[in-house]
Amino acid sequence: MGEVVGFVVVWIILSLLAEWGLSAVKAHTLYDVIASQGFLAERAFNFLATWLTPVFVFVVVYLIYVLIRFHAPNGKPERSRSQFIRNKGFVAFWVGFSFFVNILFWLHPTSADLEQMFASDMPSRNHGDLIVDVTARQWEWIFSYPQYKVTQAVNHLGEDELELPVGRKVEFVMRSYDPFHTYDVYAGVIHDFWIPAFGTKEDVIPGITRYEYIRPTVLASYKTNPMVRVQCAEVCGPGHPWMEAPVSIVTPSHFSKWIKHQQTLEAHAGG
Amino acid sequence: MAQNIVTEATPYRTRPTMPPVLRGFLWAAIGFLVLNMATIAVDPFRGHPFITEISAVIGWVGGVIGWLLGVGGWEGVVLPLFGVPNPWVAAPGWRKYLELSTEHKVIGIQYLISSTGTFGIAGLLAMGIRYELMQPSLHFFTYPDQYLTAVGVHGTLMMFAVGTVALVGGLGNYMVPLMIGAKGTVFPRLSGIGHWLVPAGVLTVIFSPLFGYWTTGWRGYEPLASQDPSGIIYYYLGVAALTLSSTCVAVNLAATIVFHRSNGVTWARLPLFVWGILTVSLLNLIWLPEIQMTFVLGLLDRLVPFNFFDAIGSPLNYLSLFWLFGHPEVYIVVVPALALWNEIIPVMAQKSLFGRSWAVIGLIFVMMLSGLVWAHHMFTNMRNSEMFPFSFFTEMISIPTGFSFLAAIGTLWKSRYRLFTPGLLVIMSMFNFLVGGLTGVFLADPPVNLEVHNTFFVVAHFHYTIIGGMVFTWVAAMYYWIPKLSGRMYNEFWGKLLAIVIFIGFNGAFSQMFLLGLHGMNRWVPAYPPYLKPMNYEVSLFAFLLGAGFIGHGIHLWWTWVKGPVTPDNPWNGRTLEWLTTSPPPPENFNGEVLVTGSFYRYDIDKPAAVLHPPE
Repeated sequence: MGEVVGFVVVWIILSLLAEWGLSAVKAHTLYDVIASQGFLAERAFNFLATWLTPVFVFVVVYLIYVLIRFHAPNGKPERSRSQFIRNKGFVAFWVGFSFFVNILFWLHPTSADLEQMFASDMPSRNHGDLIVDVTARQWEWIFSYPQYKVTQAVNHLGEDELELPVGRKVEFVMRSYDPFHTYDVYAGVIHDFWIPAFGTKEDVIPGITRYEYIRPTVLASYKTNPMVRVQCAEVCGPGHPWMEAPVSIVTPSHFSKWIKHQQTLEAHAGG
Repeated sequence: MAQNIVTEATPYRTRPTMPPVLRGFLWAAIGFLVLNMATIAVDPFRGHPFITEISAVIGWVGGVIGWLLGVGGWEGVVLPLFGVPNPWVAAPGWRKYLELSTEHKVIGIQYLISSTGTFGIAGLLAMGIRYELMQPSLHFFTYPDQYLTAVGVHGTLMMFAVGTVALVGGLGNYMVPLMIGAKGTVFPRLSGIGHWLVPAGVLTVIFSPLFGYWTTGWRGYEPLASQDPSGIIYYYLGVAALTLSSTCVAVNLAATIVFHRSNGVTWARLPLFVWGILTVSLLNLIWLPEIQMTFVLGLLDRLVPFNFFDAIGSPLNYLSLFWLFGHPEVYIVVVPALALWNEIIPVMAQKSLFGRSWAVIGLIFVMMLSGLVWAHHMFTNMRNSEMFPFSFFTEMISIPTGFSFLAAIGTLWKSRYRLFTPGLLVIMSMFNFLVGGLTGVFLADPPVNLEVHNTFFVVAHFHYTIIGGMVFTWVAAMYYWIPKLSGRMYNEFWGKLLAIVIFIGFNGAFSQMFLLGLHGMNRWVPAYPPYLKPMNYEVSLFAFLLGAGFIGHGIHLWWTWVKGPVTPDNPWNGRTLEWLTTSPPPPENFNGEVLVTGSFYRYDIDKPAAVLHPPE
């Protein structure tokens, strides 16, 4: 019994230390998060990490404990004096705890967060969203703002760029096809619309229109934070690594100016 | 089996006129040309080149048939089918590993050699991948599709010719009959021919880039695969050969376990590793035909062409069909490893196995649940409503997986654990698999999954389960059983040192990949934003250390096999049946009849678990 108490004390002390270490990095477990869905993911990540830390510490401390306390010093085959093959208390604790913790995880964070996520996708909650049409082709992201009649937003170099006003909910309408080669059924492949700092991603699939709803909450720019970029996350051929686009989250007034600039550019395009 | 091997002088030709492997290549070339030309001859659209995509497929079938007949299938399988006895005498010495064999121990070693060789090739590709990723831009590979092909060949070979094969076709074929006291397997010819599908499949996949770089990775995602050049065809076909080989192993070993147990090996006494192989064989029998049919659909989609999986059909169908097999596959890889922990730990600890029935129940429930979790690979593209059941089953599968830890931990408590190399590697493997398993809980939660899916977080997670869980246990099992395979003992100092080297290399490389993934490093990229370079550089250095460590283990085990000091038959004081016979075992495994009277895992009983009655 003394052995058990000793182990449990070591386990509890080291678990507390590990929890203290985790609490110090909790704000950055997903590095930089700047959108609603990302905070949800980060909270879920931290909740799971908090519960799994003692489990991790238990097994690691146990294995080290075995190496120190229970190893045979000379390697000779020597039978232990205790040769138990069952221990109802330990098995009940182990099986009970693993059922408890897995069902807990499924209820929270999984089910609770999914309900929240699905609710934010409901049409009734999405009046007045900023609509951005996202077209994925090999290998380019094209962003259109139909409410502002902007068909392809570009920066001063003519590269596609995505700019969003802070605090306003966005509805991304995502399709995968090649607008320049619509006759080719093989031209559309699966892409994945991912802005690492948004904390979520969604596949863009040929033949299906998919939606993503998100509210960016922090001013940010690709220029200062490379996680604020659109990056294709599903392998889509040789151009896959370069299928990215810069993102900026700006103030509403800056966004109106930017939209006007885009409209002017398009008005003069081809002229 | 002995009845197929003529041991006395016979009127028949005793040796083939040329080495069987060489004849295999020759007959493969002939088989390919014959069926290729037959296809061209009936091609209604003349004017195509000599080899078209369709003729390459049909010619490949001829090539594989020629290969199988050439390595010994003609004399060993076809002639006996028509009642003509096999005219061959099994070759002496090392040559018996280079021809068709019907003895399970030879077949086991053949599988181990094929797997180890493939592990080396696919491992070199991994080194190439890591060298490329030391810089944020293309500097080693010339084209991005070259890099993607390297990734695809690496993954395909590691999954289908190493992960699925080493512990099952290799150690399973060698050890399972010994561990159940059998003198042979039920389908020795099927098993013998099955092995030679591995080199056929491996060569097909390795040389697939000659027909054009394919970019899909080991999953062959549609519709990208339809766009790829013809190399993708040899990915489908190579996998077909490899999975067919594993199907042969599954049929043979499952039947052997059911029908060839010796007296007293009841289901309640069946060794843990045998339970592992039985559950894996059932998984293989269910899921390998499924992936084969999926790849036939993929192949037809391309050749005919249909539009099963593009924007006109449904790309998601391919994804579901692939992962329906793909997730059970990872349990096919890891279940024998989980079983091996609890095979090796009681022997090293000289302590009775704790909670044996829990360990077995764990393996069986993992097997059953593994078919219900596949779509957790698809949280980024499924309907919202589907997320609930798949996250539920994915979280629940950690419960039976944990039972292997439960049994191991209970056994280790208050033991006198002997820290020999296999014992140390099992402890390391438990640590690695713990990391792999716990990060899997994060991935089972859809909101977290949506952020880390398709990033290096996932790459780290599955390498922790597969290298950390399966490969570490494979190395442990090789050290544990090399005295049985060769009658010789490895060097303890080098074994332990190299174990520590791969542990540091592995953890140094893959633990940092979790952070890379969280920081925005996506998969399948030969180039990436420069802010990710420092950590990638470190990962590569550790990866090279890991590669060097594996080469060291290979050399050390080879040295043991050839020159290691001779060891007694039962150096670990184990109780399972393989330790009852000589090392290496005689052709019929036991010199006499095996009678099992007690448990293999009770170290509180002095009486041995079994006795060997010498032949009268």
